[in-house]
Amino acid sequence: MAIAERTAGTVSIPVVNVRPGWAGWLSTTDHKRIGIMYLVSAFVFFLIGGIEALLMRIQLGVPDNTFLTPDVYNQLFTMHGTTMIFLGLMPLNVGLGNYLVPLMIGARDMAFPRLNALSIWLFIFGGLMLYVSFFVGGAPNVGWFAYAPLTQKQYSPTAGVDYWIIGIGLTGVASIAGALNFIVTILNMRAPGMTLNRMPLFVWMQLVVAFILIFAFPVLTVATIQLLFDRHFGTRFFLPNLGGDVVLWQHLFWFFGHPEVYILILPTMGIISEVLPTFSRKPIFGYAFVAYSGVAIGFLGFLVWAHHMFAVGLGPLANAFFGAASFLVAVPTGVKIFNWLATMWQGSLNLTTAMHYAIGFISMFIIGGISGVTLASPPINVQQTDSYYVVAHMHYVLFGGAIQGIFAGIFYWFPKMTGRMLDERLGKWQFWLMLISFNLTFFPMHLSGNAGMPRRIYTYEADMGWNLWNLISTTGSLLLAVAFLLFLWNVVTSIRRGPIAPADPWDGATLEWAVSSPPPVYNFAVTPRVRSRRPLWDQKYPHLREINSGHGMSGAHNESEKRDGFEHETSPAMEPIHLPSPTYAPLIVSVGIMILGFGIIYLSDFGLIAASAMIVGLLIMAFGILSWVRISHVDSPHHAH
Amino acid sequence: MRILPGTLLRATILIALLVILTACSAGPGDTYDPYGDNARRIYELLIPIWWMALGVFIVVEGLLIYAIWRFRRRPGSTAMPAQVHGNMQVEILWTIAPAIIVLVIAVLTFRTQAENAVMPEDALRIKAIGHQWWFEFQYPGLGAEGKPLVTASDMYIPVGRPVTVVLESQDVIHNFWVPKLAGKTYMIPGKTNFLTFTAEQPGIYRAVCAEFCGEAHALMRFRVIAVDEAEFERWIDQKKTPPAAPVGTLTVNGLTGDAARGQAIFLDARKQCIACHVVEGTNARGLIGPNLTYYGSRQTIAAGVLPYSPENLARWLREAPKLKPGNLMSRVLTPQWIRANLSDQEIADLVAYLDSMKVSVALPPER
Repeated sequence: MAIAERTAGTVSIPVVNVRPGWAGWLSTTDHKRIGIMYLVSAFVFFLIGGIEALLMRIQLGVPDNTFLTPDVYNQLFTMHGTTMIFLGLMPLNVGLGNYLVPLMIGARDMAFPRLNALSIWLFIFGGLMLYVSFFVGGAPNVGWFAYAPLTQKQYSPTAGVDYWIIGIGLTGVASIAGALNFIVTILNMRAPGMTLNRMPLFVWMQLVVAFILIFAFPVLTVATIQLLFDRHFGTRFFLPNLGGDVVLWQHLFWFFGHPEVYILILPTMGIISEVLPTFSRKPIFGYAFVAYSGVAIGFLGFLVWAHHMFAVGLGPLANAFFGAASFLVAVPTGVKIFNWLATMWQGSLNLTTAMHYAIGFISMFIIGGISGVTLASPPINVQQTDSYYVVAHMHYVLFGGAIQGIFAGIFYWFPKMTGRMLDERLGKWQFWLMLISFNLTFFPMHLSGNAGMPRRIYTYEADMGWNLWNLISTTGSLLLAVAFLLFLWNVVTSIRRGPIAPADPWDGATLEWAVSSPPPVYNFAVTPRVRSRRPLWDQKYPHLREINSGHGMSGAHNESEKRDGFEHETSPAMEPIHLPSPTYAPLIVSVGIMILGFGIIYLSDFGLIAASAMIVGLLIMAFGILSWVRISHVDSPHHAH
Repeated sequence: MRILPGTLLRATILIALLVILTACSAGPGDTYDPYGDNARRIYELLIPIWWMALGVFIVVEGLLIYAIWRFRRRPGSTAMPAQVHGNMQVEILWTIAPAIIVLVIAVLTFRTQAENAVMPEDALRIKAIGHQWWFEFQYPGLGAEGKPLVTASDMYIPVGRPVTVVLESQDVIHNFWVPKLAGKTYMIPGKTNFLTFTAEQPGIYRAVCAEFCGEAHALMRFRVIAVDEAEFERWIDQKKTPPAAPVGTLTVNGLTGDAARGQAIFLDARKQCIACHVVEGTNARGLIGPNLTYYGSRQTIAAGVLPYSPENLARWLREAPKLKPGNLMSRVLTPQWIRANLSDQEIADLVAYLDSMKVSVALPPER
């Protein structure tokens, strides 16, 4: 079935010198290996963030509990938020994108493979730096939103905030580089015939997210660097009694922070838009509406940041504007949900584990979307903001939504990545346990929030009427932990003993199912030619080809094109395959940047030692860049022949 | 796994409804139990939105469950469903439908927003200042000789008269929240905010700082005490007169504290109290901590950490670092310092003194 194998005999299969063992991973520039490294490291951070949440839930299980001290609790909720957003959800999505985008668009790798390797290393080192803070005087304890002036040195004297700034900074550079890589890859490296309007919706959403990222992340980076200068080098951007403005921080932070929510959720909407059609045996309903509603959500995401600030006192006019813009988000979101429902409608629903999670995503995301409407209304918002109601809302979107979407993607693509099937039965047990315990954990928070329970409190009084809700939440969270253990068990056993996965286990329609599981290092022996949104179905179900080509929005195609599948290409396929060599250069550059970061944190307190560290870091970085330039010169196709 | 998702979802909805019903007994922070006009208008805005939300929820989840049940693949089925790619009319319809719903919600929202933004000229102005981790209240012009009347942790207001709280902060950002009376408003250093509301019934209302503000954020609470206008005037009149010279004794934990002796200890610079605290009519003029004039009438100790009682006050003086980690006083009143400088008898005397300063106001019920 897979085209690459069938035609492989006619082309020269490249000799790829992948180093064996660990060295192979440390020096890799293969987007698939990098994708897996993203997924594994992000999942480890995700589990750590989950343990932090469990500790908080244990503390809040009963009133006036003394399990944690307030300072430890404050560190935990700061790290939980920061971890889940920057080190968990985001890189899980990046990992899936890294692995799948080139495969889905018929490319052999990302546009900049070495930059891709730099991104993964900077992400891992940024995460590690953040966690180093626990061992050197305390983790950041100011919340993931880090409101000024609490972050200033007089209120937060430990280095925790500095580690937060540098750690987030490194992952931010990784994200911006990654986003540029995705944009160039998707715009320039699509297989012939894959117009923008034939791209899989997962690729569409990755493209939208990459654009959101390059507009949103630099704002956060600027704000955190300003904060770093306030703390160490005598500036006063956010010092109110010296002419600074603490509200400015909130504007900068949420100008990044709200688009960030869409950075987390849009890729998972892309996953759902792949999984639902496959297991409904139908094309996505209203492809163009689903794609462009994603673009609309991304655009609106930049106009709603002040709905996080309705209690700040920006004035009724500003609040009305941002409230109205926030209401508008409901329109494209509603469009997506209706289109997913219509995709399932009159389909032949194969209720696999991945499909369970995709449906779970829709059902829980609806609740998160509805609870968001009251938060978009400024008068209601000022009762609900900073209460547990927001905690409930946000977890319905990011856990009930994003996490379930990622699980849908993992159960869907795990066979492609590993060559083994996950245990479906265990996966469904995990799904039901997770769905029930998720609702037990987070639904009561709507109620405790409306009963007046503020966020970020390490303790509460017994007579407030919150005891029952908190006890239910804590119980639910412990069950959630069991669900994640089931998943871990499933992965560990399936990787060793799971059934061997065929190239196309789910009767998929997109190009990643055209190659073996796992794919060869060069992805496609022959660059495929694409004539519709469902290239693989064109080949498997030729009688459906006519209606398959997409209506209205699809690019120009003439009759003769329609008669062909994408498999019979002649001359372009005979090109030799060119792949980048493995190199340690990105790893070396990242190590240098990390050492530079440690130097910056301690520069104002330990000048000489810190400055030496910075010089060492810069030298390592320079060495890395030199070897980078050398290898890219050797690697260039013009040089090679 | 033969359980259908539908069964489960229906069960979830049922349980959720039961839980909501049992939640009807309102707690002291319940936003669904408003006693102020501001909170009431928000609640009244929420009700129609809540019903619309429930309608959308039932329709969409219902369609989802129906689709799963109706279109699930039967065992052995190999049928290929009709390959429908879309339908422009339907798309336009369900783009417009949510747009209309949010338009209705927006109109309702802006009406409530306008009503809650009104600041009447004749409103009583009270300045509220956030500190790590307690609330200070100043009543401009109502103190002795036209100076502001200053107090902390208990905010007295008249019932039925609009109150405009002028919100400021001394250090980091705090958030002023009396759930039963009004929505939240931030207290921001370098910025002045305003919040207007009218208490509709007398009551003692729980209130908190709702924005994370550092280590003891969870223990930054206050009370709003709404009394009728005449009682409020009586409170002002007593409060603006400095307390009389302390007399009498009080038995605390088996020790007999003497109020006059307690005042002497309080005013003794070596005991550190006056470095931070004010008591009107004495030379205690420290401006760092809360004003302690008529402390004996407070509802709580240390911004809501403990209910007020002489025993709890003695406990607070001994165990401040433990009861409220990070608080400023605990930097001075460390266990070692207390052992060296403050005997149990002296603590009993201090408690007797602080407890002797009381105003007489008929307290309303707790809400």
